[in-house]
Amino acid sequence: MHEKDLTYDILKEIFNIGVGKAANMLSEIVGKKIILDIPNITILESKEDDEEIYKHFSALPQGALMVSSMKFGEKITGEANLLFPANKMRIFINLCIGQPEYMNEEDLNFTDMDFDIIREVGNIILNSIIGEIGNTLDISLKYTLPEVRLFNKSKFEIGLKDKEEFCILLLYISFIIDDVKIEGAVIINLTIDSLNELMKMTKDIEDDLYG
Amino acid sequence: MKILIVDDSRFTQLTIAKLLKNQIGDVEIFFANDGEEGFKKYKEFNPDYVFVDLLMPNVSGQQLIKLIKEYDKNSNIFVISADVQKNVREEIESYGVIQFINKPFTDEKVKLVTKIIKGDTYA
Repeated sequence: MHEKDLTYDILKEIFNIGVGKAANMLSEIVGKKIILDIPNITILESKEDDEEIYKHFSALPQGALMVSSMKFGEKITGEANLLFPANKMRIFINLCIGQPEYMNEEDLNFTDMDFDIIREVGNIILNSIIGEIGNTLDISLKYTLPEVRLFNKSKFEIGLKDKEEFCILLLYISFIIDDVKIEGAVIINLTIDSLNELMKMTKDIEDDLYG
Repeated sequence: MKILIVDDSRFTQLTIAKLLKNQIGDVEIFFANDGEEGFKKYKEFNPDYVFVDLLMPNVSGQQLIKLIKEYDKNSNIFVISADVQKNVREEIESYGVIQFINKPFTDEKVKLVTKIIKGDTYA
């Protein structure tokens, strides 16, 4: 699917709306204005060559990653992962709990409460993005309990590519809170059947536009 | 006044509790980490209001609401959920909850809740 296709544009717009609403919710949590970049969306399938896949994965945040995940199912089935560099999470957590001073940015010693906060915030953001798909396409999605894990980036990539057939929607997102830029990504794994279903429903919207 | 907060996130439990205490003042708050514990504590403490998350381990929020409503048809339930889907909101509202509120729970939302509670108290 080409970036100039209207189907791609519709899909991008659905995610834009979801990410925009998520940013609004994030702003309410941290009590600060969030400046958001419009997300880019890339669709990767296992049939692409390794070089193409590598090119996109190398643009993901480096080093240790904090990953919030949630599975969804029914009409379309997949898993949504929200990735942020772990070294930015200390600042983010402190903003969520209203701590006036920022601790050492490199502090990667996260407590159970820290993981709980990230899990809950990840839950809110992912629900906003995935839920928007459900609302726009008028389908019902059921979720599993969200999880949060600390990952080494290469281990996370291996996990994604380690399936015979995969399809990944990559959204690069970046936002600025209080002069701190946080770049992350939302990676949505879909089955091939679910991708086809998603494309079909998006195409229906496109056909509807033309009357 | 007694309030029960049922959510598997400690962070959310504490956030809701803090905001409610700031607005309502004299209130006794109980916590439960899932629907099963939530129902047990509902029967034990007979709270005036319950705040229920939907996606929880063991017994979900939807199941808990049904259990509470069967046990006490006059129960007062607020739902606080990250789920933004319209069909979910409609389903939950059909169970007779007072209000379906999307997370995050904020100052603005707690004021709305307090208005409903205080209106109820003086009715």
